[in-house]
Amino acid sequence: MVATELLTELKSILPETQMEAGESEGHPLGNGGRLIVYPKSEEEIVNILKYANQSGKKISVIGGGTKRGFGGLTESADLLLSLANYKGIVEHTVGDMTITVKPGTPFQELQAYLAEHHQKISLDPAWPEYATIGGVIAANDSGPKRFGYGSARDIVIGMRVVYPNGTVIRTGGKVVKNVAGYDMNKLFIGSMGTLGVISEVSMKLRPLPKYESLILVSFEEGNLEEEIRSFVVRILDSMLEPTSLELLSPSLSERLTGQKRYTLAISFEDVESSVHYQEDFVKRIQPSKTKMTILQQKEAQSFWNQFYKIGPNGLQHTENKETQAALKIGVINLDVLKVIKESQLIQDSNNLLIEAHGGLGHGLCQVYLKGASEDILSAIQDLRDFVTQLGGYLVVKHLPLALRQKVDVWGEKPSYFFLLEGIKSRIDPNRILNHKRFVGGI
Amino acid sequence: MRGKEIQTKDKHIQNLAKIVGGVQSILYKKEDLLAYDCDGFTIHRHLPKAVVFPKNTQEVAEVVKYCNENNLPFLARGAGTGLSGGAIPLNGEVIISLVRMKRLLSVDLENRRAVVEPGFVNLKLTQSISDKGYYYAPDPSSQYCCTIGGNVAENAGGAHCLKYGVTTNHILGLEVVLPNGEIIEIGKNGIPDQPGYDLLGLLTGSEGTLGIVTKITVRILKNPEAKQTVLAYFDKVSDASQAVSDIISEGIVPAALEMMDKTAIEAVEAAAFPVGHPRDIEALLLIEVDGISAGIDEQIHQILRVCKNRNVREVKVAQDEKERERWWANRKTGFGAMGAISPDYLVQDGVIPRSKLPEVLERIKKISEKYGLRIANIFHAGDGNLHPLVLFDAKKPGETEKALAAGSECLKVCADVGGSITGEHGVGIEKREEMRFIFNDEEIMAQTNIRDVFNPKNLLNAGKLFPTPGRCVEVKKERKEVITS
Repeated sequence: MVATELLTELKSILPETQMEAGESEGHPLGNGGRLIVYPKSEEEIVNILKYANQSGKKISVIGGGTKRGFGGLTESADLLLSLANYKGIVEHTVGDMTITVKPGTPFQELQAYLAEHHQKISLDPAWPEYATIGGVIAANDSGPKRFGYGSARDIVIGMRVVYPNGTVIRTGGKVVKNVAGYDMNKLFIGSMGTLGVISEVSMKLRPLPKYESLILVSFEEGNLEEEIRSFVVRILDSMLEPTSLELLSPSLSERLTGQKRYTLAISFEDVESSVHYQEDFVKRIQPSKTKMTILQQKEAQSFWNQFYKIGPNGLQHTENKETQAALKIGVINLDVLKVIKESQLIQDSNNLLIEAHGGLGHGLCQVYLKGASEDILSAIQDLRDFVTQLGGYLVVKHLPLALRQKVDVWGEKPSYFFLLEGIKSRIDPNRILNHKRFVGGI
Repeated sequence: MRGKEIQTKDKHIQNLAKIVGGVQSILYKKEDLLAYDCDGFTIHRHLPKAVVFPKNTQEVAEVVKYCNENNLPFLARGAGTGLSGGAIPLNGEVIISLVRMKRLLSVDLENRRAVVEPGFVNLKLTQSISDKGYYYAPDPSSQYCCTIGGNVAENAGGAHCLKYGVTTNHILGLEVVLPNGEIIEIGKNGIPDQPGYDLLGLLTGSEGTLGIVTKITVRILKNPEAKQTVLAYFDKVSDASQAVSDIISEGIVPAALEMMDKTAIEAVEAAAFPVGHPRDIEALLLIEVDGISAGIDEQIHQILRVCKNRNVREVKVAQDEKERERWWANRKTGFGAMGAISPDYLVQDGVIPRSKLPEVLERIKKISEKYGLRIANIFHAGDGNLHPLVLFDAKKPGETEKALAAGSECLKVCADVGGSITGEHGVGIEKREEMRFIFNDEEIMAQTNIRDVFNPKNLLNAGKLFPTPGRCVEVKKERKEVITS
């Protein structure tokens, strides 16, 4: 069905000003829609979903668009449901340190507002200026500070979710501790919009740290893996409480610090005396043949602000002869060392730029690749083989549609796939939402 | 010991005995089964068909497969300390006791994880790694005897979850026997964010209705460098709760922030671990801060200042570990202490937005007056988890029902102010009807739909967690009959 026909049908449930035709040429990242709809209320979301469910239409869901290259096998669904205009704070109870927001609220806008109250959401996702809270949660994005503060599953306390049949389900609540019924919040975090449209999110907040610093320790050539490992183990086995313990590959480190060396980014956030005390400890155990830089407060913040923009951003995708890809790799914590090293080796043996970082306290790595398509595909395969041997997994977080059709974005189906399938079929039997965007074509 | 042969003609019992290795691994005689007719929630009782004690995952899977094929209802049980009746065999279940699967399988300090069997006792984990400077964070008050498998089923909390989170925040991986007997591994190798829906998060806190956990990978943490504990006595509850808010708004994240009211203080002082709290105060706060030593003094100083600004009568910092432990023993045995001032008590487990505390306590006082029953309050004040303890005497006719009704009304108050009916004890049998205070029919159905994916025949722990749709009047009647019979 063409956009104009859809528009005619939808006119009775949505003002025409909240609809526009989708990209006529298609989008290189796919995940578009013939007609773009911009609901401004939950009721409008309900009506759009009901309409699609009853008339057999497929819907793609989008927030800021930064993750448009993440999963999905179709160029264009019938409708692209954009939550960009469904934004704002519903309720912020300062004393209870909880906040409820609409999904289209950009992450950075939220943090800026909360900072006025000396509070924050303890997540550090990529591209906070553009990424919306709904998208961050639906794709379960997290950054290096996950080590200190956890991820979306640790901070989301409640949601409102519009099911494909238009039913609105509340999960969790607005209190920070709650075990009433199944923990349904977990089902939607990281579900890539395949189960429902999140129409409200409640989160618990943390106080803004009173002080912060960032120590960058860069390692000269030598027996790197052993040296970095023993230094990291020493930190982990000490009383230190770093909020990040992130290893940067030489190529990424070069971009961020000018030094082409394996670099460890150790951040501390606490009262000032505690932060300096921890810096002193790190200085005392500094390995020989390393360089140390300490960034205080604003300097540390500006390092991280740069850091959150290093990966590809689906919103700013431009056709280029160089292809860009982003991978998320999960391994057992200290195996991050091996993954970062391996990605550097693959860069050197292929004609690619590969930048990588990974958290030694949580086991998640992000790898960014730039180069020719074939080389990228073969590097993904090499890395996946390597990671599988370590017992981990590799997920492709960003890749143009044409290449996504050639590589398995999510890897092999798990043995319990029938459970995932079962959940999807119960909630979205007509498969209208983000069709085939998730594991095993769910 | 008992006889070496099974003395029953029940072929199911004979077959189950074969699976678990004979007569020493199964109970089936009425006198043996009596100990399993309830858990920590003692108001409901029902005899199981049998209790089996498998030694490994394979045996669990075979028992489950057998039950599934023969349509025998079954459920898993750990130490039986649950407070909401989750392990009570309402339908004459075969109880799969996991207490013989109690090994610590591995500890990996460098990667901060440990693998345990479900029957492993919570506190033993911390004891096994404390010499290396590590611990397991979730610390329910029953941690000296409750099992980690049970903690996973209930998503157990504890006094220190304000800063460190509840069980779900510390579970990295699970081996699960599904209700059809199939064994699956979720959170493979304890690596976070496995592709797919977060089954780990869904299973944790599912009260044993989605699967039976047979192996658990948990996160372990390094001990904080320093710890300080403050005890503060207040003449007014409103001052104490204001102090709680002030501490939080100072940007302090205490490891624990506990409150007890006058009746609770009377009980703990009459019980096994008295501290010498004054009897005439209205509320006390027990506040613990931990972390880097260099930052602790500053935070303690702020806390003392906040308490003084809120008219504290007396405030003191624990002088040594012994004193700290005495304060905590006094608090952690708070529920049991009710036995010192009342023949019976009923624990409730509501959650409220912290800021609503004065209003909620006022309303609970009215409930207490209405029913003529004393209600003590023990409160994880930092995260709003309130435990009203309704004191009653089951021997007095009608008083049990009154206590149940008063408890339910307390939960209604929590729900009315935007809270929840349970923060850490679970719904079980006890709060099935109260689920309606916070969820509508469609939301309950959304949850039972998920159950049906895992547990399509509903043989595993049926009748827990959810009210029966459209039958709530009948359910209430049935419940009354059980109580009075």
